[in-house]
Amino acid sequence: MTISPDSQAILLLCSHIGLLSNSEYSSLTLKEWNPLARKLQSISMRPGDLLGLTSEEIQNQLEINLEEAERYYHLLQRSGSLAIELERLASLGIHVLTRADQEYPTRYRQRLKESAPAVLFYAGEKALLGQPGIAVVGSRHLDEAGKACAEFVGNSCGLSGLVLYSGGAKGVDTISMKAALTSRGTAVGILADSLEKSIRNPENRAAIGRGDLCLVTPYSPSAPFSVGTAMGRNKLIYTLADYAIVVASDAEKGGTWAGATETLRAKWIPIFVLDHPNMPEGNKLLIQKGALPFPHPFPEHHLKLKIWLEEQSAKIKPDPRQPSLF
Amino acid sequence: MTIASSQTIKDRALNLLHQMIGEDKDFRPGQWEAIEAVAIKKQRALVVQRTGWGKSLVYFLATKLLREHGSGPTILISPLLSLMRNQIEMAGRIGIRAFTINSANKEEWAAIEEALAKDECDLMLISPERLNNDHFLKEVLPQISGRIGLFVVDEAHCISDWGHDFRPDYRRIVRIVQMLPKGIPVLGTTATANDRVVKDVQAQLGPELTVHRGPLARESLRLQNIRLSNQSERLAWLVENLPKFKGSGIIYCLTVADTERVTGWLKQKGFSAEAYHAGDDGNMDRPALEQAFLNNEIKILVATVALGMGFDKPDIDFVIHFQRPGSVVAYYQQVGRAGRAVEKSYGVLLSGAEDDEIQNYFIESAFPSTQVFLDILQELEKSEGLSLYEILARVNTSKSMAEKALKLLEVDGAVGQTFDKKVLYFRTPNPWVPETDRINRVLDLRRSELAQMQAYVDHPDCLMKFLLEALDDPNPVPCGRCVNCQGKGFSASVPHELVIEAENYLKGTQVLIQPRKQWPVGLFPDQKRNIPFELQNATGRSLCYYGDAGWGKIVQIGKYREGHFPDELVNAASHLILDLWKPEPFPAWVTSIPSNRHPNLVPDFTARLAQSLGIPFHPVFRRTSEAPEQKTMQNSTMQARNVVGTISIDPQIPSGAVLLVDDIIDSGWTLTMAGYLLKVNGSGPVYPFTLAQAAGRNTNG
Repeated sequence: MTISPDSQAILLLCSHIGLLSNSEYSSLTLKEWNPLARKLQSISMRPGDLLGLTSEEIQNQLEINLEEAERYYHLLQRSGSLAIELERLASLGIHVLTRADQEYPTRYRQRLKESAPAVLFYAGEKALLGQPGIAVVGSRHLDEAGKACAEFVGNSCGLSGLVLYSGGAKGVDTISMKAALTSRGTAVGILADSLEKSIRNPENRAAIGRGDLCLVTPYSPSAPFSVGTAMGRNKLIYTLADYAIVVASDAEKGGTWAGATETLRAKWIPIFVLDHPNMPEGNKLLIQKGALPFPHPFPEHHLKLKIWLEEQSAKIKPDPRQPSLF
Repeated sequence: MTIASSQTIKDRALNLLHQMIGEDKDFRPGQWEAIEAVAIKKQRALVVQRTGWGKSLVYFLATKLLREHGSGPTILISPLLSLMRNQIEMAGRIGIRAFTINSANKEEWAAIEEALAKDECDLMLISPERLNNDHFLKEVLPQISGRIGLFVVDEAHCISDWGHDFRPDYRRIVRIVQMLPKGIPVLGTTATANDRVVKDVQAQLGPELTVHRGPLARESLRLQNIRLSNQSERLAWLVENLPKFKGSGIIYCLTVADTERVTGWLKQKGFSAEAYHAGDDGNMDRPALEQAFLNNEIKILVATVALGMGFDKPDIDFVIHFQRPGSVVAYYQQVGRAGRAVEKSYGVLLSGAEDDEIQNYFIESAFPSTQVFLDILQELEKSEGLSLYEILARVNTSKSMAEKALKLLEVDGAVGQTFDKKVLYFRTPNPWVPETDRINRVLDLRRSELAQMQAYVDHPDCLMKFLLEALDDPNPVPCGRCVNCQGKGFSASVPHELVIEAENYLKGTQVLIQPRKQWPVGLFPDQKRNIPFELQNATGRSLCYYGDAGWGKIVQIGKYREGHFPDELVNAASHLILDLWKPEPFPAWVTSIPSNRHPNLVPDFTARLAQSLGIPFHPVFRRTSEAPEQKTMQNSTMQARNVVGTISIDPQIPSGAVLLVDDIIDSGWTLTMAGYLLKVNGSGPVYPFTLAQAAGRNTNG
């Protein structure tokens, strides 16, 4: 299993793999990588061309100051440790995708453009990333209606061949994912943390083995939970799917609220919100902001879910996006 | 890299060589070419040269040159770290700062990691297993300034399936090398690789691998094969012929038990000999033994293959094999220890009746069966992680087989390890299929290697030429020195009295039965594992090893053919107990372990033994149910479970010390449980005695 020079360079520059916690040089954030990527493109260089250059050569060819060039140079030097860590991850079943790879999810390129994560870690069937499907999100606090909705959507996806996209967190995410997998469907979990640990779960492992599940994260596979990562990955759930259904949201705060309002602004995909008499305050507010109501119980047969969502969202058209190269 | 010409670099290298090993030395043929290949051309190279040629010199000089030109440190992966002490000192002479990280030097880790951070490490030595270690991979390795200057794989033949020394950890090394960027030079070294192995290594490390081969023949070595069926004859031969050698030498045995036996015999006959092996649970100070042998304080080292490949003593006069090794490659490696810097050296292979049985045992136990792999995976699939002992409680296989299976599964990515509070194994999402084809290929190869050695032992023509051809030496010619070329050598005949003496020695060696001090994990989950001291057995004795030369065969025949143990065994047992063992306080009565399968065999023997000892025989135990034969249970917990609840004891038993008799001890759980029951019901000290101990315990080096 070989990695292309371009992917290698992106991994060395933008990820923590093989990088010491107390290293003098830090990896590039997306904000730092994007201008560099554009610069490379403008002088007809590929990321892989940076490998093997000295800091002076980097400085001259890119026309940047020495400090910046030295940072890149030192990050690019650890290819040996990178190789060893990638081998370790592969032996655990964890693989890597970068923006330089052809198989990188097209939808991320199209919809997120330069905000698409430079590096993704995944386990399981990567072909699922971006297949037609429905994203289900929600806060941890669920009432009976919320649970029933999550199960219903998961189940419908499974039975009608749609992918169930979710965040892998306890609550709405796991309920809907489990429902999808149990009905012999497929699911993608975009995780905020602990990819390495999640694949030790016997159910996840079995689903991965069947090719029914992909667990993906833009964070390090052993990253612990943090509110930042939980919030940061929400848009990655929405942008893989065709429709989103928000089951329960807090009002004006929390990850679900932030992700939903972002999606409303960006208009990536039509967004529905669970609508029922005792719905949380956040749900009401989202509908006021333009999200479409999703009735509970669902009025049609579960196999009609996709068509129903299509018809309802004919009222909103998402904007087309330009893909970025790497 | 620099602009300096190749010639000036060669001068520098020669300079360094002088500093390392002396002003009067020069490169051996092929050494500079190998250094040039990795340090200057930055290629991937495989060096195949006999031991003592100086492969380590190549990577030390290459490291120094690369470091002087700004490269990062060298990583050297070797399974033989304990034997590299001398070489590391040598490397220090040219200023190479070498470090190693292993489980034994934890106190030094902090200092080493600091040196790494400051780029003050030139060479990092690690064992292949360390590439599995989380801490090492995440915290230590990245410290090597993130830049690897040279990647060295020692004993590179271990990469090859076709090699005699297949090690699963090397598969991981191969994958890492495949992922290294092209610019990093890679050096593989080995003393033992025939064409098939070289091709395999090339296939795995990449076709651009350049191969540097040298001739394998040893000028001073004189080979001879002698067939002597019985161990007593071979022991006699040793005593008869060892005085003919002026200097020091090695005697190789196949098993730990054999090294102890031979050493005991030689010591008894006044020779300066010590045993060297990997058994003994780490009580043996191997570095001290190596040093004493190097200093000629010990004349003869009686060793198993634990005396490994890197060990280098230039003035070894003789290498005698007490039993026949399983392959030409192994034999060549071992006998090649002799004759580095002596004019005449001798390699004598004594082969005997037990050789085939031992080699077949090694082959059959080399790999776990497919069923074991599948059972382990099945248990792991049900959970998030299990410890080794939890696995052993659920899967019927021995600890060593389970460890082998887990290692192979791990290297194949089917199983991973975490190091939370204890080591846990877990199933990964990677698919797994049994590699029966691959395993069968390796086993077939081992069988054909064995056949080749059987042919070697009977070979009528030049023995050295036979070995060289088998190893694909580029130019195999007759040596003119071996017993077949010369027409003369050591005599195979031995004085009869010496043979009798050896026989008696073999019969008299006391085989101990160490008492168990703990129940196995998971047997009594609500109780502490420790068996209270007052309920443990005393140290017991066995007459022999089952099936071994001497009594072993007689016991075997008695149990399975005759259904009756002859008086000969009663007398031998009696003699051992009364004259050699002499337990204190002497047993007041005797009892035996019951069996539903062979109800009369042991009681009948025990009754006669009791009479011979002059004490009463009281059969106080009963079998309560049919249990599968103990020997088909493979690990401690399974075996102990088998025993618990299958024997019961009479409520009234005599008091006083008691001799507890059985025919064969395998796991020892039956004796442990029986002794426990005796003590609980008021007996005195319990002395276990069995006719034989099963082979298969500690039989490998």
